[in-house]
Amino acid sequence: MQDAVLSSCAAFSGASPLVAETASRLAVFDHPDEWSVFSRPREDACATSGLWESQLVVRGMHCAACSLTLEQALLGVAGVISARVSATSRRASITWSAALTRPSDWMAAPNSLGYEMLPAADAFSSDSGREEARLALWRWLVAGFCMMQVMMYAAPTYFSSPGEISADIEKLLRWASWVLSLPVVFFSCSPFFGNALRAIKRGSISMDLPVALGIAMTFLVSTAATFDPLGWWGKEVFFDSLTMFVFFLLTGRWLEQRLRQRTAGSLDQLMQRLPGSVERRQADGRFERVAVRRLRPGDVVRVLPGEAFPADGIVLSGDTSTDEALLTGESRPVARASGASVLAGSYNLLHPVEVRVDRIGNTTRYSRIVALMEQASVEKPRLAMLADQVARPFLWFVLLAAAGAAVFWWRADPARAVMAAVAVLVVTCPCALSLATPSAMLTAAGRMAQRGTLVRRLQAIESLASVDTIIFDKTGTLTDAHMGLQSVDARAGVTHVQALELACLLARNSLHPVSRALVNASSLACGGAVSQSVSEVSEFAGQGLEGRLERSPGSACSGKLRLGSALFCNVDEWPGDDRRVYLADAQGLIARFVLGETLRPDAVQAVAALRAVGIDVHLLSGDREQAVSMLAERLAIGNARGHCTPEEKLAYLKGLQGQGRKVMMVGDGLNDGPSLAGADVSVAIGSAVPLAQARSDFILPSGQLGRLPEMLAQSRRCMRVVRQNLWWAALYNALCVPLALAGYLPAWASGLGMAVSSLLVVVNAARLAGPDRPPALLRPAA
Amino acid sequence: MDVLFLLIPLSVLLALGIIAVLAWAVWSGQFEDLEQEGQRIIENEAEKAPGEPQA
Repeated sequence: MQDAVLSSCAAFSGASPLVAETASRLAVFDHPDEWSVFSRPREDACATSGLWESQLVVRGMHCAACSLTLEQALLGVAGVISARVSATSRRASITWSAALTRPSDWMAAPNSLGYEMLPAADAFSSDSGREEARLALWRWLVAGFCMMQVMMYAAPTYFSSPGEISADIEKLLRWASWVLSLPVVFFSCSPFFGNALRAIKRGSISMDLPVALGIAMTFLVSTAATFDPLGWWGKEVFFDSLTMFVFFLLTGRWLEQRLRQRTAGSLDQLMQRLPGSVERRQADGRFERVAVRRLRPGDVVRVLPGEAFPADGIVLSGDTSTDEALLTGESRPVARASGASVLAGSYNLLHPVEVRVDRIGNTTRYSRIVALMEQASVEKPRLAMLADQVARPFLWFVLLAAAGAAVFWWRADPARAVMAAVAVLVVTCPCALSLATPSAMLTAAGRMAQRGTLVRRLQAIESLASVDTIIFDKTGTLTDAHMGLQSVDARAGVTHVQALELACLLARNSLHPVSRALVNASSLACGGAVSQSVSEVSEFAGQGLEGRLERSPGSACSGKLRLGSALFCNVDEWPGDDRRVYLADAQGLIARFVLGETLRPDAVQAVAALRAVGIDVHLLSGDREQAVSMLAERLAIGNARGHCTPEEKLAYLKGLQGQGRKVMMVGDGLNDGPSLAGADVSVAIGSAVPLAQARSDFILPSGQLGRLPEMLAQSRRCMRVVRQNLWWAALYNALCVPLALAGYLPAWASGLGMAVSSLLVVVNAARLAGPDRPPALLRPAA
Repeated sequence: MDVLFLLIPLSVLLALGIIAVLAWAVWSGQFEDLEQEGQRIIENEAEKAPGEPQA
C-alpha cells in the first residue's frame, strides 16, 4: 500500500523533508558559475567589495507581513547587506557580500520559518516590465495633473460674463493652458499615436486612430486659435476637453493594466517545477550535485524521493513510483521499475533511483506540453481584434464624415469647415464608445475580485456571458487535491473510531500521504485523543508500518500491529479498484480503510446550479475511465471521458467549438494547459500550476466552484450594461453627428457632449459594483 | 489685476516643477509597493526577532 499516494504530493514534495538534502542542494548555488544565473555584481561606489545582487522567488508567502518577517531573517545572516521582499510579486532582492557569505547560507535562513527561496531563473528579465509599468504610471500622472491645472485656467472663461476678463488675461490663460497641454499631447498621448501609426503601417485601422486624429486635430486647432485668434480656424480653444479626455482614457488603460499585473500567475515559478540541481554520476562512480542546465543526454543521475525528475529518461536501477498527476492527469502514483521511462517534471515518490537521461530541455514531454499551450493560445480568437473589426465600419464612417464635412463647407466658409470636421471628430470621439465596454468590465472585474475570483483578461467577461458548455477537469478541479478516508470496515467488536485510533498510532510515525490521510481522518473522528500507545514502530518502505501495541485494559486488540498492504498484513486482498489500507494484529484483520479522492464540498451544488441555467457540463480527465465515470455519476454529468491526453482534451474541445458552442474550460494541471489556452473562456483553480494560471482568463484562488454560477450571472449582467452603454453611445452619435456635420454644433458644445456622454457611461457601469458599494472603478487596484 | 501677469506664468512653472517631483517619485519606486510599506510602520521593532513566524 505504500505506493498509494495522493496527487497533491507535488504540493509538499517541493519542500523536501530531508533537511540534510536541502543543504547539499543549496550548496550547488555556492559555485560562482551559478551566481550569474540569478545574480549580478553591484556596480556602485565600492566595486571592489564583491557585492552581488540576487533575485529569488519566495514560496510560502501569504501576506505583506510575511515579507517583513522574511526580511528580518535574511538580514540576520552575516554578510547580507540588504534584503527587500515584495509581497505582491513574491520576489526577494538580496544584496550580499561574496567575501562574507555564500548563497546557501542565506538561502537556508528562511527555511526554518516555513518559507523556501529559489533562484529566479529569469532574474533580471522583469526589469523591462517594471520600466514599462512605471512609464505608464507616469504618463497617467502627468495627464491627470495637467488636466487639473488646465481646468483651472479654463474655469474663468466658463464662469465670467463676456468682457469681464480682459483680452490680455484671457490670452495669458490660453498660453498657460497650451504650455501644460504640451506634455499631455506629446508625452501622455504617445501610445495612442504610436498604436495608430503601427496599425496604419499594417494597413489596418484601429480604435486608436480616431482618438489620435481627434487629439491631434483638437490640439492643432486650439494651438492656432491661441496664437492667432483672428484666423479662419476660429478662436475657440479646447485644451480642457482635450486633457480631460486623455486623462479618462489613460485611467481606463492604467487600471486595466494594474488588474492584469495583480492577477498574473507568475511564470517565474514555472521553471521551478524542474529541480535546479541533480546528483550526476561522475566517471569514478561517485555522485556530485550539478545544475540541471549542465545535464547532457546519456548522463546518469540519481533522483531522491520527493525530488522531481530533471529530464525524460529511463530508470536504470531502483524501483519506485512517480506522481505524474500534473503532466498526465493520472491521479494515482505510477509504478516505475528499472527499464521504465520517466517524465521530466514528474515526482519521484518512494525510493532513490538512477536514471539515464534521454531527452533534456526543449525535447522533453513537459516542454512539448508547454509549447502546445503557447500555440493554442496564439490561435485563440482575439476578442480585442474582433471588437476592432466591429468598430471598423464606424471608424471609417466617422473619418469619411469628418473629411466630407470639411470638403463640403470649405467652398462656403473655411472656418466652418474646420469647425465641422473637429466637431465630428470630437463629438463622436470614441470616448463614450471606447469607454462603454472597459468601464463596465472593470467594474464587474472589481466586483468579482471582491467575491474571490481574479480576472486576468477583461475581454473574457464578454465570452463568459455567452458560454453554453463547460468542461471540467477531474483531479484537483472537481476533487480536492488531498486524499480522504471514504469508508472503514472493522471486525466485530471494534468500532470505527477505535480502528482509526489504532491506525493513527502507527500512521503518526510516517510522512507517507496515506498515513497523513489516516491521521487527518482520525483527528476529525476523535479529536486526536489517544488512550493507547505503540512502541518499536518501524516503517517498511513500499509495504507498511509495524509496531507493538502496549497492553491496555478494555482494548480488543493486542500484540504486534501492522498497517499497510494486504500482503504485508497477511490478510486477504479485497477486490476493487480503490486504494485500500489494512490494519491487522496477530488475530488477523482489524479493519480495512478505503481512501479516495474527495469531491470539493461545493462541487455537487455548483454543477447542479450550472445545469439549472442551461449549461452543458462535460468531464474530461487523464485519469482511469472507472474513476472518472464514478465521479461523473455522483455529479450527474452525462458526458465524461477518461484516459485523455492533453492533445485529446484539446481535440474534444475543438470538436465542441466546431459545433458552434462557446466552451469554458475549468482545470488546474499542466495537462489542462492546452485546453485552457484553446477554450473560449478558461478558469484555473487556485492551486493550479503557474503555467495553467498564466494561460487562463479567470483564477479561483480558493477553489470554490460555487463561484462559477455567480461569475456567469455577473458577466451576463455586465454585458447587459455594456449593451445599454453601446446603445446610449450609438444614440448619442446618431443625434450629434448630423448636427456636427451641418455645422450647427459649436466646439464647446461638442466637448461638453463628449464629457457628459462618457460620464453617463461610467456611472451606468458603476451600478455593477452593487447597490451598497462605491464604484469598484474608483478603488485602488492594490 | 496686473499681478496675474506674474502669477499665471508662475503657476505654470510650479505645475512643471510638480511634474518633475512626480517623475522622481515614480522612477525611484515610491509607488511600487503600496501595501507593504504601510504595514512596515505598524511592525513593532521589539517583536522583530528573527525566527518568530508571525500570524
